Amino acid sequence: MDFACMGVDAIQVGLRAGDFSATEVAQSSLDRIERIDGAVNAFLEVTPELALAKAAEVDKAIAEGSFDQMGPLAGVPVAFKDNMNQIGTHTTCASRMLENYVSPYTATCVQKVIDAGGLPLGKLNMDEFAFGSTTETSAFGTTKNPWGLDRVPGGSSGGSAAAVAAGLATVTLGSDTGGSIRQPASFCGVVGVKPTYGAVSRYGVVAFGSSLDQVGPFARNVRDAALTLNALCGRDPLDCTSQACDFDFTANLDQGVEGMKVGIVPAFLDAEGLDREVRNAVMGAADKLASLGAEIVEIELPNAQAAISAYYVLAPCEAFSNLSRFDSVRYGYCDPGHKDLGGQYEASRAQGFGVEARRRIMLGSYLLSSGVYDKYYYPAQQIRTLITQDYLNAYQKVDVILSPIAPSVAWKFGAVSDPTSMYLADMFTISINIAGNGGMNLPVGLGEDSGMPVGVQLIAPPFKDANMLRAAAALEREYQCVGVAPDFAGEAAVKDGE
Amino acid sequence: MTQHVSEKDVRAIAEYARIGLTDEELPAMTEDLNAIIESLKPITEYDLEGVEPTFHPVGDLSNVMREDVEGTSFTQEEALSNAPKQQDGSFLIPSILGGGEA
Repeated sequence: MDFACMGVDAIQVGLRAGDFSATEVAQSSLDRIERIDGAVNAFLEVTPELALAKAAEVDKAIAEGSFDQMGPLAGVPVAFKDNMNQIGTHTTCASRMLENYVSPYTATCVQKVIDAGGLPLGKLNMDEFAFGSTTETSAFGTTKNPWGLDRVPGGSSGGSAAAVAAGLATVTLGSDTGGSIRQPASFCGVVGVKPTYGAVSRYGVVAFGSSLDQVGPFARNVRDAALTLNALCGRDPLDCTSQACDFDFTANLDQGVEGMKVGIVPAFLDAEGLDREVRNAVMGAADKLASLGAEIVEIELPNAQAAISAYYVLAPCEAFSNLSRFDSVRYGYCDPGHKDLGGQYEASRAQGFGVEARRRIMLGSYLLSSGVYDKYYYPAQQIRTLITQDYLNAYQKVDVILSPIAPSVAWKFGAVSDPTSMYLADMFTISINIAGNGGMNLPVGLGEDSGMPVGVQLIAPPFKDANMLRAAAALEREYQCVGVAPDFAGEAAVKDGE
Repeated sequence: MTQHVSEKDVRAIAEYARIGLTDEELPAMTEDLNAIIESLKPITEYDLEGVEPTFHPVGDLSNVMREDVEGTSFTQEEALSNAPKQQDGSFLIPSILGGGEA
């Protein structure tokens, strides 16, 4: 049995009943990665010892009758984006810069998932330092989309999305700075949640844009994502922006949307470049929500258009600052043979960083330079005020917002190559990071033209992430479960959730 | 397209960012940066008179100090475990004062 194709509840029911052991779950998942991941390339490192050691702990708890105290992810195969430190594993950020880096400590988000009983299978591919929307900037080869191996999985958390879509893990973690959880989740047909900024600790996650980065889960159903959020969220003394949270994210999943006010943004649906099948999916989801008793309300986000340029000012500036830590001295790539420190810095950073990373660092360096700062950086922070205000105004009228995530389904490799046109693909996700709201992808079936997964985005007011999960759960009951990609579902496929 | 940065500017930007750039890479990087900077133009065209900046999405946070108690931290060995070069329990860098060789 391929347990990583199963949902959390099904695994835990089986474990409780003694139908199989956590060790079997771990071993079968490791075998499946060995068998399948050559085609997908979701994993950069597999950690059999760690998975089996944790499984032994879970089995011991089952034997001692303390399984129910293990935590919400007890016995569940999990994996982490490779920008998350986990002691004893490589944490490469898919960069030559960190190819040989071995984490001496563990990120809070990783620790919380392991403490909740997750079986850590390994570390997942990504765009280098999360700079990209396709996982093609990984220094270790791109990840393929399990729904069509000639298509991109999205990014930057492409490995995290593909691993769940291919049934290589039940739950994975990713990070989202401008859409890096939601867009790959949409491309790979899985649930992906970017919680409100501050809901999950960023400690130990290699920083990209510190005022934008947020960690969140990928799963094949809403409930599994909610269970993971229960494990993840909360105050961490090691991240002073993290907030206390005592909410059970599964609490109102069955509540339905009766009386809920759902905002749609007509300007988003009329946006140039939005594919017909994506637009239809969003309209279809709105109709379904209305038929379930929600009230659909048209809202405006007048400054959303400015979000892209504000993001492409703020994110490179923060990245420039964050990536200055790679100095070839304390850790990271060091170009050998230099007799002066300046030369060693320049050569190591030139060779350690890929071209997209260098481009963004250079852009940040320019934007923060004297004279230029006032022209771009300061106005970008003023625009952040306007965008935040837009959302707060909208939330006076609605409980949740429904929108597209990406303008299209996953495209074929090589179909988009101009960096500025790729940036446009982020237009529906970025304003949410700028304002700090929560946003998530819910798969709503396959596009009528492409046959590829299409998702819709649900957006919630700050720290009311439960609103979007509630609406997503109601919608999920209306659509066929997308599940594991058909080419990888095989005979061993087991329906999720049920 | 408007020239926002010249090759000479890009050379200076690279030096400030401590990223080596070969003569061969310079024209393409200059072109890329000009294209990206051009795409940021909308931000210079908004009327932002009187709008306060938001530097951080969680607005009403104040700085939090932890209790002044001793915690655990890396040992010297752990701190050095990823150092490309080390000597006598320290990070090793090329000589910065002249005279020696690393």
